[in-house]
Order: sequence, then structure tokens, then C-alpha cells
Amino acid sequence: MEVTLAYALILVPIACAAIVGFSPSNLAKWIGTFGAFATLAVAMLFAWTFPHWTDGLFAPTNDATSWFSAMGVSISLGADSVALLLILMTTFLMPLILIGSFTAINERVKEYYFWFLLLEASMLGAFLARDAVLFFVSYEFTMIPMFFLIANWGGLQRRQAAVKYVLYSFGGGILTLVGLLYVAMKMHAATGEWNFGIGPMTEFCSTTLPASEQVWVFLLLMAGFAVKIPLVPLHTWLPLVHDQAPTGGSVILAGTLLKLGTFGEFRIALPMAPIGGVEWNFVLAVLCLIGIVAAALICWVQHDAKKLVAYSSVTHIAFCMLGMFSLNSIGVTGSVMYMISHGLSTGALFLCIGMVYERYHTKDMDELGGLYRRMPIWSFFMVFFALASLGLPGLNGFPGEFYCLVGAFIAEDTAATGYPGLMGPWFAIIAGLGLIAAAMYLLMLVGRLVWGPLREPGAHDKDHAHTSHHAPTSALPVDIGAREIGILLPLAIACLVLGLYPEPMFKAIEPSVKNMLKPYPALVERYVRDGTLLNDETETSNSPFADATQK
Amino acid sequence: MLNFSLLADATDHAAATAIGVIQPAVDAPDLKWAGLIIGLPALSALLCTICGAMRVRSKLPAFITIVALIGSFVLTCMLFQQLGQGAPRVVGLFEWMSFSWGNADRFQSFSAPFALYVDSLTLFWMLFVTGLGSLIAIYASEYMESDVGKGYTRFFGGVSVFLAAMATLVMASNLVVLYLGWEGVGLASYLLIGYYYSKPSAVAAAKKAFIMNRIGDLGLALGISLIWVNYGTVDYATLFSVLEAGPTAGHGDWMPGAIPFLLMLGAFGKSAQIPLFTWLPDAMEGPTPVSALIHAATMVTAGVYLIARMYPLFALHEDALATVAWVGGLTAFVAATIGMAQYDMKRVWAYSTISQLGYMFLGLGVGTTFGAGYHVFTHAFFKALLFLTAGAVMHGFAGQIDIRKLSGLRKVPGFRLVSYLALLGCLWLSALPFSAAFFSKDTILTAALGSERSDFQFLGWLGLLTAGITAYYTFRVWFRTFAGPVHFEAGDEQHDAHDDTHDPHHAPVAGLSLGAKHDFHPHGPRWAIRIPLILIAIGAVAAGWPAYNVLFFHGENWVQSMIAHSSAVAGSGEVHGQDVLGLSAHLMTSIVGSTACVIGIGIAFWMHLADRSAADRVRSALRGFILTRWIPTTLENRWYVDEIYHMMFRLPLWAGSHILHFFDKTVVDGFLVDGTGRVPVAVARLFQPLYNGVLQGYAATMAGGFVLIAGWVFWIWLRGNG
Repeated sequence: MEVTLAYALILVPIACAAIVGFSPSNLAKWIGTFGAFATLAVAMLFAWTFPHWTDGLFAPTNDATSWFSAMGVSISLGADSVALLLILMTTFLMPLILIGSFTAINERVKEYYFWFLLLEASMLGAFLARDAVLFFVSYEFTMIPMFFLIANWGGLQRRQAAVKYVLYSFGGGILTLVGLLYVAMKMHAATGEWNFGIGPMTEFCSTTLPASEQVWVFLLLMAGFAVKIPLVPLHTWLPLVHDQAPTGGSVILAGTLLKLGTFGEFRIALPMAPIGGVEWNFVLAVLCLIGIVAAALICWVQHDAKKLVAYSSVTHIAFCMLGMFSLNSIGVTGSVMYMISHGLSTGALFLCIGMVYERYHTKDMDELGGLYRRMPIWSFFMVFFALASLGLPGLNGFPGEFYCLVGAFIAEDTAATGYPGLMGPWFAIIAGLGLIAAAMYLLMLVGRLVWGPLREPGAHDKDHAHTSHHAPTSALPVDIGAREIGILLPLAIACLVLGLYPEPMFKAIEPSVKNMLKPYPALVERYVRDGTLLNDETETSNSPFADATQK
Repeated sequence: MLNFSLLADATDHAAATAIGVIQPAVDAPDLKWAGLIIGLPALSALLCTICGAMRVRSKLPAFITIVALIGSFVLTCMLFQQLGQGAPRVVGLFEWMSFSWGNADRFQSFSAPFALYVDSLTLFWMLFVTGLGSLIAIYASEYMESDVGKGYTRFFGGVSVFLAAMATLVMASNLVVLYLGWEGVGLASYLLIGYYYSKPSAVAAAKKAFIMNRIGDLGLALGISLIWVNYGTVDYATLFSVLEAGPTAGHGDWMPGAIPFLLMLGAFGKSAQIPLFTWLPDAMEGPTPVSALIHAATMVTAGVYLIARMYPLFALHEDALATVAWVGGLTAFVAATIGMAQYDMKRVWAYSTISQLGYMFLGLGVGTTFGAGYHVFTHAFFKALLFLTAGAVMHGFAGQIDIRKLSGLRKVPGFRLVSYLALLGCLWLSALPFSAAFFSKDTILTAALGSERSDFQFLGWLGLLTAGITAYYTFRVWFRTFAGPVHFEAGDEQHDAHDDTHDPHHAPVAGLSLGAKHDFHPHGPRWAIRIPLILIAIGAVAAGWPAYNVLFFHGENWVQSMIAHSSAVAGSGEVHGQDVLGLSAHLMTSIVGSTACVIGIGIAFWMHLADRSAADRVRSALRGFILTRWIPTTLENRWYVDEIYHMMFRLPLWAGSHILHFFDKTVVDGFLVDGTGRVPVAVARLFQPLYNGVLQGYAATMAGGFVLIAGWVFWIWLRGNG
């Protein structure tokens, strides 16, 4: 059953994409949406029958099907609760995005839905992969649909944005690949056979590889993920891409694609090379802090609503990573929770802004404002999601954010927590400044776009104003209609439910996090004691065998 | 470690009753219905949202809200009836946020269930919150009627959210749920201050209130983290028992001394104290019932509640309570001085609210939680009364609120009742001897004056001076507005100023109002405004009952015993204090306080009723003398605090943000990223002059780069193996 479902998760969108490819254009959007709903149904069924919600096991759903047997590459699928939650979020977002694209995409409709379904399949493949090569292939494959989505349906600078996105991700991805290959090569040297399973590789790398090599492996893996996350200073592609991408592309980018980076960090980089994770913890944490504060301040001086939300993604995701680098279970659990909630609320903000863009063909807050007067229902959702995004307790942003903050706070050398870390109260205080800044820029966004006197583009242009006083230049209703409410309402309900009752989520995330963190407390303690983890290299030879026998 | 000697100075048996007498909490699963006190307003908020979605164009939202709030009030009364001053009850509702990563001890887990902690402090607060909330909702149903079908639903939705959040804040059983309510009331405040959303000033005020509160909230959040790290719990009941067990029960090395200061920051933000007070006067942009409910009677007292609730923690640092006292005393004084020079009636009341809150913090700081709690109680009534009478005036005079443009309203038909109720409110605010506020303020000032600490004595004298100033500015407003010859100008508020069809570009507001002035007839309030006013006035008078009971019947003070049965017990004792200048502190305070009140009213009478030009003469006299020249302008400009904050914080931050943005665009993206991007192109051109297309160049060098990196890794690997 599980095997079928795991395969189905990848194959259903691919199959639907193929059908979309051969179907008449006017049916494309219906088939595409059907495909997304079908995938959602499969994901829900998968979640319903999933036996590992509470034990945190990254369990295989099938025996590895050999792919390139000589190289030990296999198609092996599986999921733990974290992957499954991300899968649920992705499949939940996808139909909403596609329905949201009904009116926005009028050209080359078939291709659009085709690429979107392929994108979904490859993202799900990355979440489900138990094999490093399969993971990497799926992870990198997301670039191709995304490239076409940006380059074909984007804004004026779409080519530039698409190229930048691909090159940036590709460059980072190459480094990740090198890291993975290096581990596999060492493993081949040690055991005599090729094996690309994430589990065995993690096991080998974290326990057998010498400290200095682990650090390098960590940095190589990290390089790709840091671009995807994106971690300051590798973030600059994100505002451009968000700005230029079509609404659907922005939503999926913020919602799921960035999570591939954080998920890679969680699934691969941190467990595989814990010594590197500890050695570079301080630097990464400081980068997160810079990301939180600097990107938040940059948000505050944006004029373009979409760019503002794009930069807010940078600061939010830095918050999420701060929680992950706290290396204690409360922080990492918060971090995973934050991934989900960020996907929902930021995705929803992009959808909201897209709805305005469809009507006014601008997202410049100097031209546009006071829309409550025109679009009260839209305004309700906009304010709601802005509040969710700024971490108002009772909505989805808060639980994850609070745990991240507490995680960073207690991650100090002390016996108090049982999971010592390398941060401390000061990290939490500086990160907390990001909460104030979040209120500043999000309320600025809402204050200009929703409240205040009405400003519409073309209001000064007399003729224009007369012909269409109720500004919209498209055939859309003035305020959002039933279809658009139908997109935003499920998101709003999800935000509310996660905020008021996050307990089941935490319960699901926690065991998986605990498995991931197993090697860390001892390492951190040693790091705190000695100031480095590299000093035992003299004791153990560089040979993996020597290290293995010692363990 | 728990040093309550400070409290012992001010209170008779506080030292003996210190922390040990906080009664242990009892689980009470049978009281689950108490959750409805939160649930009813929450349900009402949901229903109001549905009304909004269905475009209801009637008073239905008001009706829903009023029913829900009265329901909450009745339930609170039932709860009070059942529990009285018994042991605190903990009522678990549902799991909210909890976490554990070991079973060793409580330090390895974090538990914040959605549960209620009901003790007499909770009940005390909830009684006046829900009671006043219901009355003010009734008042608002008439006050907001010109917005029926437009913002009416939004307004009552906001009020419902507020009550739900405030009830959560007060009834929470742990600090994280308190935080939920704490930010929730901030949200309601944001939504309601910005109610007149087409006014940029209202939007700005709403934003300012939320952000300033967020600064305080960060302090609270960090304080909660520190509490958890030190004591392994955020739950009140556990926390108090841990504190009781002594410092060894916690991990003492996590800066416990910082806890009270962080909590204080949160309290100062919410209760508008120095340095976070400037949002409250701006919050008057909201509709007046909101000002009365949220920004005078209930929400702003949340800071006092927090400190009272966490009182045992304030012994963790020896200067903590003294800081509270100083901040309170100075805020009371500064806000009162600003109140003397404002012309907007609501703003005067706003500054008086800040000032009175300052008294409450002074009370907490000098060790009388009883005085602070009692003052919260009396203040809630008389300040709500003052705001609601101001609102009745605004309602009748098309939004006019400038005390220079209103005069003699008590002779205007329909405004007699309002005028005399306002007089009652003014007398209470001035702490007329034997009024309720007189006793509550007296308790606080006695504790300050009678303290052994000379700085507290100074604050006591400052408080007495402030009492005089308070009487002056209060009656300045009353004599100007309600007494004297009849004269008024209508305000410029078209009740549909935020009408959906109204185009802001063509809003000749001034012109319209000029036209309206000629045939303007103020309309007096009807029953939905009058009845709540009367009831609140009765409440204001009756708030003195606990003190009369002690004074004339030798009974006990109800407020005092309520506070004595809670975590704020440490300061709930009778205040006696040292002798001051040969008289007992109590007598001294009463005499000097009454005198200050009378003098203040007297000066106000002279300058603002008997001879109204005197005020201008005094002002020009002050302006004429070099040493006092700054006084009038500084006060009128609110000590320039907003300007200073703007220069010190907002402007540098704004400039810094622009610099960061520029840096991000040019250096990080332009130079580093695009520059790196150009290197392969350059290299590609070097090696492959035939291909000058950008993409190919990138791809080729990517491949080249890959080979190089792979080779390098291979080399390392070889070296590693060798």
C-alpha cells in the first residue's frame, strides 16, 4: 500500500502532466487542477495510512529498486513525519495555486500546467527520496520547470531572473553533488561497494569520516542548500526571482522550493556531517542573525509589495534556520514547524498580492493604496495573512517562531536543557529584534496597501478614470470573487488551526527531530570543552578504517 | 534570595505574609464552563465576521456582541459566586504548546496548555473587564450607529476580539497563554485605533501602537524564556511553588535578576509608561468607546496585572520594584504636566490615563499591590465615565472635541446629564476627598511617603504635587467645556467621512462643515448612551464602598482581601508607614492630597471659568520670562518625546535600512554575485572566442568549474588515502 502511494505521489503528477501535454488547450487548466487534487488525495491517503507519525523513523516504503546497480543507485522511497508534513503542505498549496492561475495565465496555458505538475512531481521526489542520487536529481530537476515558469510567464526582466535563478541554484547544486560524491567515494573505498542510500551515507559520514573531512563535506553540502534556503549573503536571487515570477511561481517558490533547502539541511547536511555542523555553527548562526535583522530592515524601505514579501521570506527563513542551528530539539522542532507555517502564510501573501496585480497591473505601493475601500474581502485576508506572517499568537507563525526563539535562547553551554548548543540569550534577543521589525514592515505594507486614502493607478488620468472608475482594467470583479475566496479561505483556516492547536504537529515533528539530533549533544559538549572538534585528528589516522575500528 | 524586606518597609505584616501564603492551586475540571468566558466573545467575533461576509446592514453585530459580553459577565459573576476567595483553581481546557525531550525533570520539558488559572486576582480583574465591556458595548451600539452597514460589523468584531483576548490574558494559567492574550489585545487595539482607516493619522497611530507594544512584548517573551530556563516552568502554580521552595530549585546561573526587568518592559509597553508611553495619546484616533474600554479602563491595566500576578518574581532583583516605582512616579508627573497644555479633550484624558497608570505602578513599586489594584478598580470606572461623556459630546457635536470650541454645554438641551456625569468623573479623577479615587490614591501615596527609603518619599511628594496638577487640568477641561456661557462650533466630522463612496481627492471637509455649522443642532444622547453612563457613574461612586466599609463600619476592604488571596499577596497588607513631618503618613497624605486637590480646582476655576483670559495672561507671563519661556511650548509639544524618538530611533533606522538596501543591491548582488557571474563569461571568452553567447559561456565554465572542483576534491581524497 505504502509503496504504491509513494510511487503514486510522484507518478500521478507526471501522468497528469503528460495528459495535459496531449490535451486541448482549453481543457489544460481543468486537467492540471484535477491532477493537483488527485495528488493531494494521494498525499492525504498516504498520511492517513502512514505508520511512522510517532516513532520518527525515516522508514522505507519499499525495498530499493535498483536503478544503476553497478553504482548502487536505487529508487528507494520513504518518508518520515517531517517529509510527510512538507509533502502535505506542497500538495495542499498546489491546487490552490493552479486555481489561482485560471485568470492570470492566458497564454501558453498548456505548458504552464504541464510545468507546474512536473515541478510538483520533482519536489515530491526530493522529499520522498531515500537515495542521495534520487534526491539530488529531483532536487535539481525542480530548476527546469521553474526556469520555464519564470522565463515564460514572468515580468519584464523574466529572462534575467530565470537565468540568475538557474545559474545560482546550479552552481550551489554542483557543490552539493561534489559533497555527496565525495562521501560515496570514501564509502566505496572503505567498504568496497557503492551505496548512495541516504541512511548508510549518513551513518558512514557521521561516524567514520575524520573530523576535518566532515567539515569540508558539510560546507560543500551546505553551499547548495544555503543558496536554496537562501541564507544571507546568498539570497540576492530571491527578490529578483520573486519579483519577476508569475504569482503561482512565487507561491510555490516561497511555499515549497525554499523548503527544499531547509529540508536538505535537516535531512542531509546536518545529520551527515555533524562535526561540520558544530564547527560552523557560530558562523551560520551569525549569518542567520544578519539575515533576520538586515533583510527585515530592507523590507521596511521597499516600494514594491512583492519585493517586500520576498525580502520578508529571507528574514523569516533566517529565523527558521536559526532555530535549526540551535541544535536542540525544541529549536529544530520549531524550525520545522516554521517551514510549514511560512509556506502557508507567505504563500498566501503572494497570492493576495497577485490578486491585486491581476486587477491593477502594478504592485507598487506608491501607486496603490487604501484598497479596503474597493476590496474589503481581499483586505480581510491580506491583513489576516500579514498578521500570521508577523507571528501573532493564535495564528500559525507564532508556535514555530516561539520555539525557534526559545531554542536559540537555551542553546548555551549548560546542563539545564540536556541538549547544549552554541548560542544563548543574546542570539535570541537579536533575533527578537526581527519580531519588532516584522511588525514594522508588515504593518507598513498593510497600512499602505489596505488602509489609508484610496490610491489607484490611473486615477489622475481623467479619461481612464471615467471609463473604468472602479479601477480594474481586467474582467475580474472589483473585490475578489468566489474562486479567489475559495483559494484564500482554506489557507486562512489552516493558519488558524495551526496557531490554535499546533500540538499534533509538534507531536509529529518531535520524534524525527530527536533522531536527527542524536549525535549532537556529545559533539557540542566536546566543542565547548575543547573549542574545536578537529584536535583529535592526530589521534586517529586519516584512514576511515582506523576511525571505524576506534568507534 | 527572595528579598522582601523592601515590602516590609511599606506594609505592616507583608514580611510575615510574604510569599508563603500564595495558596496552592487546585485542579478543577468541573469548572470547564469557565472557558466560555473566553469562548463567548470569541464566538461573537466569529459571528461578526460572518455578518461582515454576508454584508449585514443592521445592528445585529452589536446585538451579538452585547449578548456575548453580558454572558461573559454573568459567567464571571457565577464563577465569583462559586469560588469567592478560595484557593486558586486550575481549569485545563486543551493542549496548546508542549514539548519534552527527556523524563529527567521539568527542565527537560516545556508545557503550556490552554488552561485557566482562577484566583481572586483573576476574578477581580475579570469582573470589571466584562462588566465595563458590556456597558461600553451597549453605549457603542448607539455611538457607532451612523456606521451601520459600513464599519459597524468591523467595530464590534474588534470589540469581541478584544474581550476574548483580554479574558485570555487575565485568565491564563501560564505565561505563554498570557502572551497569546497579550498580543491579542494588541491586535484588537491595532484594528480599532485604525478603525477610521481612511484617515492617515489613524493608520499611523494604529501602527505606532502595535509596534511600541511589540517592543514591550519582546521583553515579555524574553522574560518568559528566562523564567522557563530558570525555573523549568511557565505555569503560575508550579512557578509559585518553585519560588517558595527557594532559589536552589532553579538554575540560578541564568540571570534571574533580569527577569523582573524584562517583564517590566512588557508591562510598560502595554500600560504606556516611560519610555513607551507615546502611543497611547495617538490611540485616541480610535472611536471613543474604544478609547474608554481599551485605552483607559481595561487593556492598559494589563501591565499592572502582569506585575501583580508575577509579584513574587519582582523580589529577584533588589532594584526591580524601585525601578517600577520610579518609572511610575515620573510617568505620573510628566503625563500630568503634558495634560495641562492639551486642547483636545480626549487627549487630556489620555494623558491623565497615563498619569493614573503611573500612580498604579508607583503603588506596585513601593509595595502596595492593594493600593495599585484598588486604583485600577476605581480608575476603570471614572475614566470610562470621562471618556464616554467626551464621546457623548463628540457624538452630539459632529466630532468636536476641542475644548476651545466648546463652552457651557451643561446648558445645552440634552447635555445636562452628560455634563453632571462628567463633573462626577472629574471630581473622582481629581481625587475629591471621600471619593473612591481619593482612597485608592491615598493608599499608594501613603505607602510612598511612609517608606523608609528617601527616594520613595520623594516620589510620594512628587505624587502629591501631581495630584494637584491633576485637579487643575481636569477642571480646566470641565470649566472650559461644560461651564460658562453657551458657545460651540460643530466639528468637521461628517459621520460618513469614511463612506465607501466618498472620494478623498475631492473631500472639501472644511467647506462642508462651514455649511453645516449655520444650521447645526447638537443632538443629545439617547438611552443606549445614557443608561451605560448612569450605570458606570453608579459604579464609580460605589467603588468607594470597600473603603467606606473599612472607615465607617470597621469591615474589611473587599479589594484588599481579593488581592490578599492571590499571588500579589505580598503587598496586600494595610498601609501604615512611618511618620512624616510629625504626622502619620496616612494623615499627612490625606491632608496634603486634599489641599492639593482644592488648590488645583481653585486655580482651574480662576483661569478657566471666573476669568478666562487669565490663562492667556499666565501663558504670556511665562513666555515673557527667560527662565520659564520653555515651559508652555515644551508642555504643548509633549516634552518633544515623539520628536526625540524620531530623531534617535526612526531616522537612523530609516537611513540605515536604505544603506543596507543599497549595499544589498550594489555590493552583495551587483558586485559579488553578478561580478562572480561575469568571471566565467570573461574566462569563457578567453578560452572560447568562438562562443560569445552568455548562456553558453556560463554553461561551459560551469562545466569547467565542475571539473576543477571535482579534480580538487579528488586530489584531497588521494592525499587522504595516501
